[in-house]
Amino acid sequence: MSWSNVRLILAREIRDQLRDRRTLFMIVVLPILLYPLLGMTFFQVAQFMKEQPTRVLVVGARHLAEEPPLVVNERFAPELFDEPDKADLLELVFEPSEPLGPRAVRVDPLERAHEAVTSREYDAALYIPPDFAERLEEFREASLAAASGEPSEGKKTKTAPAALPAVPKPEIIFTTANERSQITFVRLQKVLRRWSEEVGKRNLAAAGVAPETARPFDLGTADLASQTGNRGTAIWSKILPVMLLLWALTGAFYPAVDLCAGEKERGTLETLLSSPAERSEIVLGKLVTVMLFSVVTVILNLASIGLTGWLIMAKLPGLGAPPWTSIIWLLLALLPVSALFSALCLALAAFAKSTKEGQYYLMPLLLVTMPLAIFPLAPGVTLTLGNSLIPVTNVVLLLRSTLEGNYQEALRYVLPVVGVTLVGCLLAIRWAVDQFNKESVLFRESERLDLGLWLRHLLRDRQPTPTVAAAAFCGVLILVVKFFVGLAMPEPTDFVGLAKAAIATQLVVIATPALLMTIFFTNRPSRTLLLDRRSWRAELPLAVAAAAVLAVVLHPVAMAISVAIVDLYPVTKEVEASFKNLMGQTPDFWQLLLIAAVLPALCEELAFRGFILSGFRHVGRKWRAIVLSAVFFGFAHGILQQSISACLMGVVLGFLAVQTGSLIPCIVYHATHNALALTAAQITPGLLNESPFLNFIVRRGPDGAFACYKLPLVVLAVVLALMILTWFGRLRYEKTEEERLQEAIQRGIEAEDEPLGL
Amino acid sequence: MIVVDQLTKHYADLRRGRLVALDGISFRARQGEIYGLLGPNGAGKTTALRVLSTVLKPTSGRATVNGYDVLTQSSQVRHQIGFMSANTAVYDRMTAWEMVEYFGRLHGIQDERLRERMETLFARLQMNDIRDLLGAKMSTGMKQKVSIARSIIHDPPVVIFDEATAGLDVLVARALLNTVAELRDQGKCIIFSTHIMREVEKLCDRAAIIHRGKVLAEGPLDALREAHGEQDLEELFFQLILDHDRADEVAP
Repeated sequence: MSWSNVRLILAREIRDQLRDRRTLFMIVVLPILLYPLLGMTFFQVAQFMKEQPTRVLVVGARHLAEEPPLVVNERFAPELFDEPDKADLLELVFEPSEPLGPRAVRVDPLERAHEAVTSREYDAALYIPPDFAERLEEFREASLAAASGEPSEGKKTKTAPAALPAVPKPEIIFTTANERSQITFVRLQKVLRRWSEEVGKRNLAAAGVAPETARPFDLGTADLASQTGNRGTAIWSKILPVMLLLWALTGAFYPAVDLCAGEKERGTLETLLSSPAERSEIVLGKLVTVMLFSVVTVILNLASIGLTGWLIMAKLPGLGAPPWTSIIWLLLALLPVSALFSALCLALAAFAKSTKEGQYYLMPLLLVTMPLAIFPLAPGVTLTLGNSLIPVTNVVLLLRSTLEGNYQEALRYVLPVVGVTLVGCLLAIRWAVDQFNKESVLFRESERLDLGLWLRHLLRDRQPTPTVAAAAFCGVLILVVKFFVGLAMPEPTDFVGLAKAAIATQLVVIATPALLMTIFFTNRPSRTLLLDRRSWRAELPLAVAAAAVLAVVLHPVAMAISVAIVDLYPVTKEVEASFKNLMGQTPDFWQLLLIAAVLPALCEELAFRGFILSGFRHVGRKWRAIVLSAVFFGFAHGILQQSISACLMGVVLGFLAVQTGSLIPCIVYHATHNALALTAAQITPGLLNESPFLNFIVRRGPDGAFACYKLPLVVLAVVLALMILTWFGRLRYEKTEEERLQEAIQRGIEAEDEPLGL
Repeated sequence: MIVVDQLTKHYADLRRGRLVALDGISFRARQGEIYGLLGPNGAGKTTALRVLSTVLKPTSGRATVNGYDVLTQSSQVRHQIGFMSANTAVYDRMTAWEMVEYFGRLHGIQDERLRERMETLFARLQMNDIRDLLGAKMSTGMKQKVSIARSIIHDPPVVIFDEATAGLDVLVARALLNTVAELRDQGKCIIFSTHIMREVEKLCDRAAIIHRGKVLAEGPLDALREAHGEQDLEELFFQLILDHDRADEVAP
């Protein structure tokens, strides 16, 4: 990699973009104009919403009592409002109380009130039932009598209080289908509550009880927002991360399309490819350009939002200017996010044949990214281990935590979030470089879409082992089917249920797709599954034995790792309880071994080390293939905490598969590993107390049960495992054509200017 | 010096399974000669030259440029060659000067030398009046000049011209042929692909006639004429292709 070439390409691409008017408009002009305009509009709309008076039809106003007054001068009494001038916001229209003439049709007042609202003539209606004032008076007298008469009779009041006459309810008629009507309802409800309280107070006063008796204390509140951030913090911490993502994506997309698809379209790509610049240098130069534009777009947009917020939004009640510390966090998050998006856009744009085709990819990209960005806005979604593993979503959540000042939570999940984002970045960059290395992508002809032809091509031109795409498809297929089968299957409650679920998952979800794809998409199934004659080498028996020993030796290490993972990211109580419950119900340990050790060892190895790893080997780099297959293997496990350790185990298994070229050592390792884990779960505190040996090597958890092995043993295990792994590493393994090519290229690079040729 | 040995190139093709673009072609081109690749459209000339310029990877066989392998030492190969084809366009938003300078720098030429070299090239190719003209505003002839300057800015020992005269008017085409001849006189190894017989007759020392991914005949022009008993190169070309197609029809 020559950095001067990367710099050259970067400088050229930046100049190229700056000479393009469209890019400049999207990146500089739009944000500067957009937010002040949006802010102004929003400001005015909000003013309009707040100050708009609403119309209320009052039916039966004559049934109201004189005291306390509800209506004064055709408005609600000002003392019923916190701010007396708010009374003008409710425009009252009084329904004529009596029919105008003897021949006028008598309309039921309640019906009239309903009709006023359904016809949208009024925003709401207030219905006062007939005799309301008289009945209220009756109630008052009755309650007064009860209050003055009964204390002398003592016990009687406590057992059976005298029934007071019921007062008919005034009704607010409104509709939730209309927003103005809802607002009116809220306003009316406030006024009427206040009024009803007033009535109650007067009744108490009449009975000689202090009105304060009904409400002995007020609620005090203390909003510490000024100390923890201003009032708008909660809102800004939701808006800003989404804005960041949206603009990072948009800012990356247009330059990416111009830089890749545009270059193809204008015919300059081949000029560049035949220059001394390496593909990786070209991609890196372009990537940094795209990233730069993405970052600048975000910064300009955020600055414009901040300024607008500071000038306009801060004037709105309930929304202050964004806190200044947010700048630091946003900038920190910006780099990885824009790197991720830039690489994604670049890879997509490299695939496109023309800029027009490139533009088409924006929508699918947005459709995938936006739900991920908006999902964290749903109430109650917070950082958890699960959420922190979802790309994009995790960044939004982490940003929100830091913007809200919740640093402790943020710190706990910063590792998985950064890890997932970095891995995402690297994968996306890798994808972009791969796109630039693919002739079929660079010199893509427009082909008529013909599904039948394509399927026939897949079947006819199949290779001895699957392609990388087929392997990835198989992995994704397994994950998707597993997800839906998991939704459809009831939660197992007993051992039979567990056994059924395990058999269904292993046979139907994992083994069947892999085997079917092996048969249909490869012409050497036994070689794909690492079970052909070539895998039966002289070292095989020794390798199988070594694999079994390795599983035993790594058992304490695996236990220590899973304990560490659960320490960091605790399993929910329900999961733990249901797991313990199921384990406790096992009728026979051998049956458990069969279902949870032997069956997964067979099925999962066929799928993940057989079909999927064989396909990924065509990537050209052994370790990349191993890690890819391990990631799929990890995600195929239900509980996230389990996925992490499964992923690590997948790396060991993949290594065994590559080095021995056979699936047998993997199956043996996998079965042994699972069997040991199941055995360890059978060790009860009672058993520990009885056996001095177990007690010597085992470390107990807080509940006195077996947690993991003692540290010296774990260290010893690591040393032994490394020795065995070194032995495996020394085995000569069969390289794929792509791996041999990569090595030849590596030799070519190392030979530098020495010609290797004829 | 270019050595092409049993080079094959297959493409995946949905309809036919695979498309054989190159079917084991071999030839050698030496320093100080112009080697012609002659063939009808779709014969595989561009594919062969794309493999030589390392833009495409061969399916099998070998090709080396000055001893560097195109597959495993692609970066060194690209330093050895100047490549120009109908598909290597000029950047729209760069001036002639910027474009040539950019590729000169990618070749790692130092500032001082690059400036000198550019001045000489711009003078020799009469490009000084388009120095500051953006690619988007250039005529086809101007673009062709920029492309030539771009491809030889690093003074490469091997120059590959693929259908370089396509779409040019007589004047510009003639100027280009003169430049090619000059480059040969400087001792460079030049591969010149075309489907125009006159250009081959005028320029090339040796040639290979390619059809359907195979070399039908190869050697010095005089030897070719003698071996096939045909003085007119165009007739010879027709005859070879016709014979090959007939043979294909008889034994597919």
